Order: sequence, then C-alpha cells, then structure tokens
Amino acid sequence: MSSIELKNVSYSYDPDHPEDTTIEDISFKVEQGEIVGLIGQTGSGKSTLIQHLNGLLKATKGDILYGGKSIYTQGYKLQTLRFEVGLVFQYPEYQLFETTVLADVCYGPKNQGLSEEDARARAREALGLVGVGEKLYEKSPFDLSGGQKRRVAIAGVLAMHPQVLILDEPAAGLDPEGREEFLEQIRQIHDRTGMTVILVSHSMEDVARFVDRLLVMNKGKLIMDGTPKEIFSRTEQMNEIGLFVPQVTFLMQELKKNGLPVGDETVITVKEAVEKISEALQ
Amino acid sequence: MIRDITIGQYYKAKSVIHRLDPRVKLVCTLLFLISLFLTRSVMTYLLATLWLFVVIKTSKVPFRFVMRGLKAIVILLVVTAMLNLFMLKGGDVLVKIGRFTITEAGLSATVYLAVRLIYLIIGSSLMTLTTTPTQLTDGLESLLGPLKKIHVPVHEIAMMMSIALRFIPILLEETDKIMKAQLARGADFENGNIFHRVKGMIPILVPLFVSAFRRANDLALAMEARCYHGGEGRTRMKPLHYQKRDYIAYAVMIVYMVLSFCGGKWLPLHFWVF
Repeated sequence: MSSIELKNVSYSYDPDHPEDTTIEDISFKVEQGEIVGLIGQTGSGKSTLIQHLNGLLKATKGDILYGGKSIYTQGYKLQTLRFEVGLVFQYPEYQLFETTVLADVCYGPKNQGLSEEDARARAREALGLVGVGEKLYEKSPFDLSGGQKRRVAIAGVLAMHPQVLILDEPAAGLDPEGREEFLEQIRQIHDRTGMTVILVSHSMEDVARFVDRLLVMNKGKLIMDGTPKEIFSRTEQMNEIGLFVPQVTFLMQELKKNGLPVGDETVITVKEAVEKISEALQ
Repeated sequence: MIRDITIGQYYKAKSVIHRLDPRVKLVCTLLFLISLFLTRSVMTYLLATLWLFVVIKTSKVPFRFVMRGLKAIVILLVVTAMLNLFMLKGGDVLVKIGRFTITEAGLSATVYLAVRLIYLIIGSSLMTLTTTPTQLTDGLESLLGPLKKIHVPVHEIAMMMSIALRFIPILLEETDKIMKAQLARGADFENGNIFHRVKGMIPILVPLFVSAFRRANDLALAMEARCYHGGEGRTRMKPLHYQKRDYIAYAVMIVYMVLSFCGGKWLPLHFWVF
C-alpha cells in the first residue's frame, strides 16, 4: 500500500500572488517501508515540500493522500497525522526544552495521550535506538554535546512511533565521521522498525549509499525520480542544475573515458569502485 | 504567523522623506506628537490630517502599509474608547441604555482619544517606515549626545536599541521554526483553556530564550573580535550632516507648529461645547 501520495501539489508563500510558487506541480508516491532520498540545491523547495507531508503547510493546489485518504478532507485530524508522519527539522537540537533528556523525549508520546509510564517506556526505547546511554537520561539536554543533542531530538520524534520518518538534513553540521555513523544508524533504525524514511539532503555522498530511491528537485519542481544508480548515470543533467554526482561515480566515469575497462554500470560506493578497478587492472 | 507587526519596519522607497536626516525626522515626529496634545480645536486636527496626508503622499509609502501599524493597537483603542465612553460623566446625557449612559463629556473625550491615538501611531510609524533602524539609532545617539556630559551612556543605549531592532525579524523567524517543530511533535496551541495554553507556550519559550542567549553570546564575541570597545573614539562610515532639505524641513515644521497652535487658540472651533 502506498504510504504517502502527492497529487499535483503546488504551494505559494504569498496568497496575493498564487502564481509565485515555491514548489510547483509535484506528484509522487512513497511506498510503506521505502527509504527515499530527496535532493536538490539550497532553495529548491525541499524543506517547503516536506512540511506539506505532515500538514504544517497547506498546499495552495493539489492533494495529499496518507494511507489512501486525503489529509485535506473536512475534519481530518492533523495532530494524529503528525504522530504518524514524524518530521525532524534541520538542527533539531534547538527545539529541546525540558529539564531532563528523558522528559524531553516524553513530550511527543504525552501529546499522544499516553500515560507517564508508557511515555517513559517509549522514550527509553527511542533513546536506545539512537544510541543515547542510560546515564544521560537524567541530565539536562542543554549540557549535552551537539551530536548527542541531535540524537535526543530525533528520539523525541521516534518515540511517537511514526510510520513515516522525515529527516531534514540530519547530518548537517556533523563532522565526516559523525555523519557516516549517524546515517548508518538511521539505516539500521529503518531496517529494524520497517518505517518509511524520507531523507532530505544536498549532499550526494550522503544519500547515495543510504537510500533505495532518489527524488531530485530543482527550482521547486520534481525533475527526476529513480534509483541512485539511474540518477547518477545522468551526470551531465545533474551538473546542469548545479548538483554533482558522488566523487567516486565521477572518478569511474572519467576512468572509463580514459580507457580503463571498468564496465558500464554506474558506481556509487567506494567499495564497488575498488572491486571494479582491481578487476580491470588484473 | 506573526508577520503583522510593522513597528520598526522599514519600507524601501525613493522619496524626499526617506532622504531626510534622521535627526530631522525624530525631532519633527516628536513635535507633531506634541502638537496633537496642545489644543482641542478642530482646526488643529484638520491641519494634522492634512499634514499626515501630505507626508504620506511625499513619502511614497502605500497607504495600506501605514494603516497596518494600527492593527496592533485596535484592541487597546477599543477598550480605552469604551471605558471613556461609558465611564466619563459630564454635560447632557445623550444615550441611556439600561445602566449605561453616554454623556457629552464622555463622547468628546472618546473622540479626542481615538483621534489622538490613531494619529500618534500613524505619525510615529511614518518615521519608522521611512527611516532604517540604523539611521534611527544614529540620529538618536547624535540628538542625545549632550547627555553624555552627565554620564548618560548614550552610545550604549543606542547600540542596544539597534541590536534589539535588528533581532526582531530573526527572533520572529526562530519562533516560527520552533512552533512548527513542536507542532510536529503533536503540540496543540489552539485548544484548551487559558492555563493549558499558557503551559503550551513553554516548549516554545524555553528554546527561544536559549537561542537568544546563544545568539547574544556569538554576537558579543564577533563584536569583540572586531575590537568593539564602546563609543569612545569611534568614527562613522556615514557621519550625519545636515543638507539644505533638512533646514527646509525644519522650517516647514516650525510653520506647522505655529499654525497648529495659533489656529487652535484663535479659531477655537471646538467639537460640541468644549
């Protein structure tokens, strides 16, 4: 069953000029359990688009279906939708507010109407998923390091047991090693919980390895939709809109152009590249 | 969500009013406000209306922009007008509905209050609409300069004002972001009783304060890194100099004040019996 479906969604920040769209005529479907990357340059409308998926912004045109039902029907409970479609904003560590880590993660489950005990159980589970140790539970979230704060903030959304998890630039501002580990962890959470994950990023390196499918946005429009391999084989088209394919993909293409028989397949990970090159050299 | 606040908002346009020295605009606005309270003659208010009309026209600020500033005080205006209208007693009774009576004194006080308050807001928002916050604080610092002699920290006050003004849009944007983030976690700001709603503000206010302090810290560091050490010996990139048009503006203002005062005194066309 499709989990989220967008039908010709357009949005304009200025109600006086509905033709000034930030996103225009966007349609796509995400299946339950998929892990999808949404890429595009800064200002391409990625953040605006994802705020539609949990009803924070209302499309000026078009329709959004969640679980087959339009979220714009009269009387649709948007609050419930937000528990189902968990959205983690960019730099989520800036929204922590409680006195202890555990209490902060409990905020979402409590809004769902869970009892104190259930909320705590959910919080512990979520903090476990993101790898925050028990000894931090009673600390103030403001005393944690940047990376830990971010994990706590993400746990705050995971604790609501969403069916869909949307992450806006989750690795922004982390050091390269931290990024790697962090994204790997998200992949693991996905594998363990079977959630649908939508990962927003402008870094090709990041998304290439972690997603099954890529959506590419440019100037408010959805211009490509396919597997990372399909999309990264279109190097020129990507360069035209100011996005670069992963360095290793580019390297392999150049090697091939210069006569090394590395095959026709688009390579997106270093591991694959190593195999292909050693194969070609033997 | 909270974009309606126009106080301290600059409207970019090319007009004589925009180009005037900020000191001229500050002084003239102050004088205009005083003129509203000098007399109670209808003449004064007709003149003030004409004055505002001419200034708005020359400033090229769209009329609806000027009016937007009034939105913020509508409630204040209605409440004070109501209190005046029903509470003040004096003169003939005009209307009597049950326990409520409207008297002549009450009605006239209400009209004056409303007109004065509205003109006051229009007058001062015209100044902020045509002057950038930086110019405004520069002007204020220069006008209050003499107070330095009696150890008033004029420069520091001006610096605080410009920082505060500069941060209004940033904090608004931040509030918007935090609100959305908490909404995404199922926060509910619209339903429930007052107590519930006030409690619901905590998840917004705490992160907002934390971020304000973080920004303050960063800004202080950035200023120190550029050797900021207060106003002592500090020079300006654009020092304020009076031009011909500024002297003309002062002259026009003096004429206005004289007309307004004398008109009010000698042509006391008062509203009803006052």
